[in-house]
Amino acid sequence: MAKDDLKKLYDVLELPTNATLRDIHNSYMRLKKLYSGESIVLEPLGEEFSDKKKKKVLEQIEEAYAKILASRNSEAARTEPLFTEGPPEERVPEDVDPASVVFSGACLKKAREARNVTLNEISKELKLRIELLNNIEAERFETLPEAIYLKAQLRTYAALLGLPQGKVAEDYLARYQAWKDNRTPSKE
Amino acid sequence: MTAKDKVKEGEIWAIGGGKGGTGKTFITSSAGTYLAKKGRQVVLVDMDIGGANLHTFFGISRPQKSLTSFFEMGASLSDLIVPTEMANMSLITGDIHSMASDKITFTQKLKLFRQIMKLHAQTVLIDLGAGSHNSTLDTFLIADKMVVVLVPEVIAIENMYHFIKNSLFRKVKLTLKEYGFKEIVQHIWDRRQSYGIANLKELIDYLKESFSYIGTILDHELSSFRIYIVLNMVRSNQDVELGASIKSVMMKYLGIPIHYSGYVEYSDAVWKSVRERKPFMLNYLATGCAKQIETLTENLIKNTDVERRGAV
Repeated sequence: MAKDDLKKLYDVLELPTNATLRDIHNSYMRLKKLYSGESIVLEPLGEEFSDKKKKKVLEQIEEAYAKILASRNSEAARTEPLFTEGPPEERVPEDVDPASVVFSGACLKKAREARNVTLNEISKELKLRIELLNNIEAERFETLPEAIYLKAQLRTYAALLGLPQGKVAEDYLARYQAWKDNRTPSKE
Repeated sequence: MTAKDKVKEGEIWAIGGGKGGTGKTFITSSAGTYLAKKGRQVVLVDMDIGGANLHTFFGISRPQKSLTSFFEMGASLSDLIVPTEMANMSLITGDIHSMASDKITFTQKLKLFRQIMKLHAQTVLIDLGAGSHNSTLDTFLIADKMVVVLVPEVIAIENMYHFIKNSLFRKVKLTLKEYGFKEIVQHIWDRRQSYGIANLKELIDYLKESFSYIGTILDHELSSFRIYIVLNMVRSNQDVELGASIKSVMMKYLGIPIHYSGYVEYSDAVWKSVRERKPFMLNYLATGCAKQIETLTENLIKNTDVERRGAV
């Protein structure tokens, strides 16, 4: 993609071109929320900022988000929307049935890959070791830190991917605890 | 008058925003105090004609000189500068007689602007009154930094939009007048329905598309039209976030560059200091508000924005 075109996409998300992955996700979610709902910021403009205009702005935001993520990854560009509809805390990875979703390591990996984000990027962004991230996704529980630390790490990981932080931590830690419970008797 | 006419000493910051009671004078006096403490030569000009009260923020109850002398006796602006108790900081007090701003003639206005630009100061801060009168808009437009102060309320937001739209419309009109297209903007605007133009942005787009020469002029002249937002009396993180939303809407709606320079939280300390008629930044240095004033003034100097901490 030409540099100017890319700059325009970042302009849509109101970010500089050196924005971090976290900035991109946050800005996308913030703008999407602003232009899809009611706001005292839009209300005074009334018809001057019509529903049609809002819809157009939302389309531009979706397009910019998808294209920027694609441009950050050398893999095949992914252009379809990355999230299902609804407020951020209710969004789940597209490929997963919302009713049945349990955030296992495999599920997290899938969600991450759907967003075209590499472990390396997350590692840099969150200052977490790549091995740790790998172990989380592979559910190598024996290598993972105590739940109290893991909880915070899972939450930041989830926030970065735009996943529900509470549910990710809860689901994952339940699996971790189940593993622990199973392990203890066999050890004795 | 446009940027290219300016042969001036320092930088001019104008603080406006449309609605009254949002804290323009408080922000002007506090940012000015911070700049003076940093060692910059600062002159504050109270242009809140008819409602001038900037001097009370410095404990001056009855100023000896004021802009009245400029308008009524033709005094020179530099002779009206009053020192304050602070080093590096002086003041031109407003017109304390209730003079109507529409009494100011065109010639007086030009003379005033010329003299403001020649004031010996590194930063001239102009405190504008409420409202969107042409004199207020014109003063706003001579500034290098056009700052709007608002509070997180729907009426203040509405008034600010109105103020910025009027400023931009005025800027477009004055610019094209200077290039010899005096009537065209108003003519098209008055008939906007038949042109299928719904708002100011569409008018500007229409002008640019229809007349490529005008497009070049506007692109050039409007590149300096940049607004700096300051949100006063915020009470929550949600309020703080509003600044970013306003910035977004203004950029997407009017297509002009906007900075969200800062916010100041609601505080009784501010109210107390106004009552005590003392400069806030000298007496309440340890408060969160004082830190926020510092941050927003630094952001104004550097053209940077409020740092956002990943809130969604």
